Amino acid sequence: MPDYGQIQVGSGTLDARLVLGLAVVLFVLGAVGVLIRRNPIVILVCIELMLNAANLTLIMFAAQLHNLEGQLFTLMTMTVAAAEAVVGLAILVDIFRVRDVDDVDQLSELRG
Amino acid sequence: MSVPQAIFWVMAVLAVLGGLGVVASRQPIRSVLSLVAVMLSLSVIFLELSAQFVFAVQVIVYAGAVMVLFLFVVALLGPMRERPTTHLRFQWGLSILVAVVFGGFVYALLQGVGFRAPEANVAIDTLGTVEQIGTGLFTTYLYPFELTSILLLVAAVGAIYLSRGGRTASEVHRREEEEDRSA
Repeated sequence: MPDYGQIQVGSGTLDARLVLGLAVVLFVLGAVGVLIRRNPIVILVCIELMLNAANLTLIMFAAQLHNLEGQLFTLMTMTVAAAEAVVGLAILVDIFRVRDVDDVDQLSELRG
Repeated sequence: MSVPQAIFWVMAVLAVLGGLGVVASRQPIRSVLSLVAVMLSLSVIFLELSAQFVFAVQVIVYAGAVMVLFLFVVALLGPMRERPTTHLRFQWGLSILVAVVFGGFVYALLQGVGFRAPEANVAIDTLGTVEQIGTGLFTTYLYPFELTSILLLVAAVGAIYLSRGGRTASEVHRREEEEDRSA
């Protein structure tokens, strides 16, 4: 049985597992950043990092399966990420208009 | 090691270093600039994986537009430094636990993973061209495509409403007129 995990790239091949590993490392870095950082802007940046890692897996499987749907879905993901960034940053600017926040734990008014 | 593999390794190392910069930087502006580095190196990997159009979109829209929006907000809000905090220290341990569990899970997954055979009737040379992306977006995936445009419209309207401080346009106009009169 041939190893379908080798993606043909130009003259050589690329192991799909390596690309998956890179995506995992980036996703974990983003998740750890969301957990340990307290600056709201940095948390948004870390979410973008996780979205990029997910995009990488979609693109990789599109190339591995010779199937365009992964790339089309990546375009949708980018749109959603842009919308999320716009709304998130607008909320942040609105909060900062009222008071200075350098720690998301200060924003606990909605806690039940 | 062939040339594509060498390019992949260089870009992967750059992306991981950028990711570390995102998480470890003390100043938000360095985090944002590190994320731009991650996105640019990932875009080169996209190009290797025959996603030409997504490569262009990643550079222009993502690294260009979205990140400039982040930089703009960081510049608007001024420099912010994180102070050491005493509460929620357990999140450090929790994050290490999350990283170890997630990494081990994926490692175990990769040990026994088998990949499905690629679709034989599609050549990888022509995958991801503008022509193919356009045909896909405007035929099979027309409705999702239109729905994302509506999502962008909703996000734009919401952002404008939020950045006015929750006031409507006529209220903003009236307040400006009152300020003009009192000045």
